[in-house]
Amino acid sequence: MNAQGATNEPVISLRNVAVYFWLKNGFLRRRRFAALKDVSFDLFHGESLGIIGRNGAGKTTLLRLLGGITRPDKGTIINNGYKTALLSLQVGFDPQLSGLYNAILSGMLLGFKKGEIEAKLYDIVAFAELEDFIDQPVYTYSSGMRARLGFSVAFHLDPDILLIDEVLAVGDADFKKKSLAVMKEKIRSNKTIVLVSHSAGTIRQLCDRTVWIEEGVTRAEGDTESVLRAYEEFLRSSKTP
Amino acid sequence: MVLTQRHLGIILFKAYADLRSEAARTYLSFMWWVIDPILSMAVYYVVFGLLFQRGTEDFVPFLLVGLITWQCFTNTINHGMTTIQGNIKLMNQVHLPKVVFPSIVILMDTFKFSIVFVLVVLFLWIYGFGVGITYLALPIVLGVQLLFTTALTYLLAAIIPFLPDLKFLVQTVLRLVFFLTGIFFDGSKMPEQYQFFFYLNPMANLIEDCRNILMHNLWPDWNALAIICLFSAIGVYAAYGLIRRFDYIYPKVIMQ
Repeated sequence: MNAQGATNEPVISLRNVAVYFWLKNGFLRRRRFAALKDVSFDLFHGESLGIIGRNGAGKTTLLRLLGGITRPDKGTIINNGYKTALLSLQVGFDPQLSGLYNAILSGMLLGFKKGEIEAKLYDIVAFAELEDFIDQPVYTYSSGMRARLGFSVAFHLDPDILLIDEVLAVGDADFKKKSLAVMKEKIRSNKTIVLVSHSAGTIRQLCDRTVWIEEGVTRAEGDTESVLRAYEEFLRSSKTP
Repeated sequence: MVLTQRHLGIILFKAYADLRSEAARTYLSFMWWVIDPILSMAVYYVVFGLLFQRGTEDFVPFLLVGLITWQCFTNTINHGMTTIQGNIKLMNQVHLPKVVFPSIVILMDTFKFSIVFVLVVLFLWIYGFGVGITYLALPIVLGVQLLFTTALTYLLAAIIPFLPDLKFLVQTVLRLVFFLTGIFFDGSKMPEQYQFFFYLNPMANLIEDCRNILMHNLWPDWNALAIICLFSAIGVYAAYGLIRRFDYIYPKVIMQ
């Protein structure tokens, strides 16, 4: 694993960030819900940053914030001009269209130009092992085939910063192994990655540094081992009343 | 966020893909884009032409021009107004300028309308109407209609995520306006005192302009056209501004 970059300028900085949602709450009323309340941390060039927290801690909201999908309602996020992208599978898939059309469409939505995706189509189809089915409509695919195509398109995307939400491995057993292997390779490479998970095992295996979020607040930021120790300690103490 | 070439590429390709997808869903596929307006035209012909005997001279061409023009307008609004609300899943996966979503639908419906419109013009020639010099004004009239439709579609698409109930109201209002637009009656033959109100409706003007060009070789009412064009342009600009302003709010407001 590389640990370089920790001394550089951060590529993205969050300071006291809060994000609110507006939920419908009965007749003609909406209720404000704070998904993030006070989150601060830095992301450095070339590192793999883990974000850990229980379900509902605000991890997905945080990832959407980093991905430029929403903006904070309070606090600041500074991105020094880097292109971020969420690793989203099967974006914009339309079951009536062929695998090929879906690959192009999905790739365009994920940020490729049409020419770029067409240049990579061969690799995408080959990686998904769908050469014989690529002209068939996707509704004829098994869910495993669909997952393979979705993963293959998303994986060929190459942003400056890749944001990953939980899923590392998809498809049937063989493809799971293959996708996990390439994901791990990508994470361990010199790429800047943010990986969200509620599993300490995944993060321990793949991340240099870790941020722990609890109920929308950063509880700890630092090297993976010490943050995870605190997190696991917290889990044990909250389970035993 | 300003639309880039990549976003225009997405609008074009997605509209194309959605048309293909729509065609793939039925046995008669894209034939429905033509059959559907013919069927609804047949319904109105039976009701107003045969049962009520309210038909004007050349009632079939008269009805046809009015009906397809109206249908293009109302289809685009009905399809387009819920596009921002309906793409919540996608907008939480990738960031796109939200104006992309209604634009895709506008493009699709405009394409379908173009096919039907060409067929109607062919029908009019076979029926016996000629081509006059005023055909030169046809692209302008259709362009203004597109601008007007776009303004309303953007505006509704911008607001409906905050007020989802509005779409039911819009459907009712459209149904009411349909009966007031002079699709199966001739607005210019209305009693004098109602004419002013009748022509306050941009669609009444646009449909009459179309008929005048295609059936009577008359120029459109340029003043009315200019006013509609101006207000529509302002509307498009304002609605686009709203959508841009709420770009990062929509993913947080829409109920999943």
